[in-house]
Amino acid sequence: MRHDFIDRYSRQKSPIHNLSTSLKVVTAISALIVIVALPHKSWLVFSLLALLIIPVIVLSKLPIRFLLLRLIMLEPFVLGVSILSLFKEGGTIIFISIVIKSTLALLIMLLLSNTTPFEQILTLLKKIKIPPLMVTILALFYRYLFVLIDESEKMQRARMSRTFTNSKKHIWKSRIQMISELFIRSTERAERIYSAMRARGWS
Amino acid sequence: MTPAIEVTNLAYSYHDGTEALRGVSFKIQNDECVGLIGPNGAGKSTLLLHLNGLLPEKRGNHSAVAIFGESISTENVNEIHREVAVLFQNPDDQLFCPTVYDDVAFGPRQWGMSEEEIKFKVGKILAQVGIPHFENRSPHHLSGGEKQRVCLAGLLICDPKILVLDEPTRDLDPRGRRELLQILKNIPTTKIIASHDLELIVNLCARTIVLDHGKIVADGDTLDLLSNEKMMLEHGLEKPHSLQHLHPHK
Repeated sequence: MRHDFIDRYSRQKSPIHNLSTSLKVVTAISALIVIVALPHKSWLVFSLLALLIIPVIVLSKLPIRFLLLRLIMLEPFVLGVSILSLFKEGGTIIFISIVIKSTLALLIMLLLSNTTPFEQILTLLKKIKIPPLMVTILALFYRYLFVLIDESEKMQRARMSRTFTNSKKHIWKSRIQMISELFIRSTERAERIYSAMRARGWS
Repeated sequence: MTPAIEVTNLAYSYHDGTEALRGVSFKIQNDECVGLIGPNGAGKSTLLLHLNGLLPEKRGNHSAVAIFGESISTENVNEIHREVAVLFQNPDDQLFCPTVYDDVAFGPRQWGMSEEEIKFKVGKILAQVGIPHFENRSPHHLSGGEKQRVCLAGLLICDPKILVLDEPTRDLDPRGRRELLQILKNIPTTKIIASHDLELIVNLCARTIVLDHGKIVADGDTLDLLSNEKMMLEHGLEKPHSLQHLHPHK
């Protein structure tokens, strides 16, 4: 698995990448608040926002294919939430609104995370007095996400090299075992990390 | 005679463009035990992953690796997994079952061996690797050396024709290391061992391949190569202590 699958393009150069972190974060968050606050059926504002995003995408030089693929990857979550509204009276319109709103929001977050290195966002969060514990949690999350991906990939590899059948049942069974083992290891690792942090004076 | 492993002009780059292997070629005969040495990042692990078809991710029509004369392809990769067993660097990566028994039985269960026979075989193999009666233990509470042996047992129970070992002594204490050495000596299959433990290579392998920057820089008799101090230092290695006072022609 590529290590940079979340923010592969965050360290490139483009007019958007060069903007100050605080400007990007503030803009992104305000845009999110606006999107969330908008009533359903505000089609005009939706399209206006979408139009505003297009030049940002162009200027940021991010590959369109990458953005689209990431959106498609995230879309199931959106659909999972919004699909419930279909069972309501007049639900279709609400459904479409929710899908549009969340897609816009996702696109904005994708743009932010791929034009701003994560540690800069963290520095900003510290500066604006977000509780340090929360910043630490975010930092650790980002750091160990990749360790976890690595670990699951290595386990996957070891399992594959001892797999001699194509039986789906077998593959799913060992996959489930692997996932549960990954959970156990994550908690154990968390304990080790915590003691290593304390050993170096963290409190 | 068909070589057990034949690698022809193998090249591999990671996603980010880093060239891990550039044009590696060698043959290993049946029943040979070959050491693979080289500095960190030389491409040893990447090379080993090619030997049982875990890499490359995308397989073209032509594979650079042939096992017993058969080029690795999407069709035969399952058999290749059975013929070529890999012991990974970190035993924790390999052990994902709740008990030692389940983990060792992971292979045989796939080809439908009866549970009774599996039980018998697991017991036998665990004794062979020096941890009898460990069946019901839970892998994450074992010591490093014990984990290593469980991994080895899980491989040996499948009767592999080729055993590929990546840093087998990394986490072992001297006793564990010595015992592993004995176990490996008693396994008659073709072996390829990647390690920084040069004394282990001297002890086990008659032939050694030196890899650096993704290329083979030397391939030959272990004692000749490893006592070549200049070459060893050039490639981030050193002449092992046991060869320090050895007469060059023995």
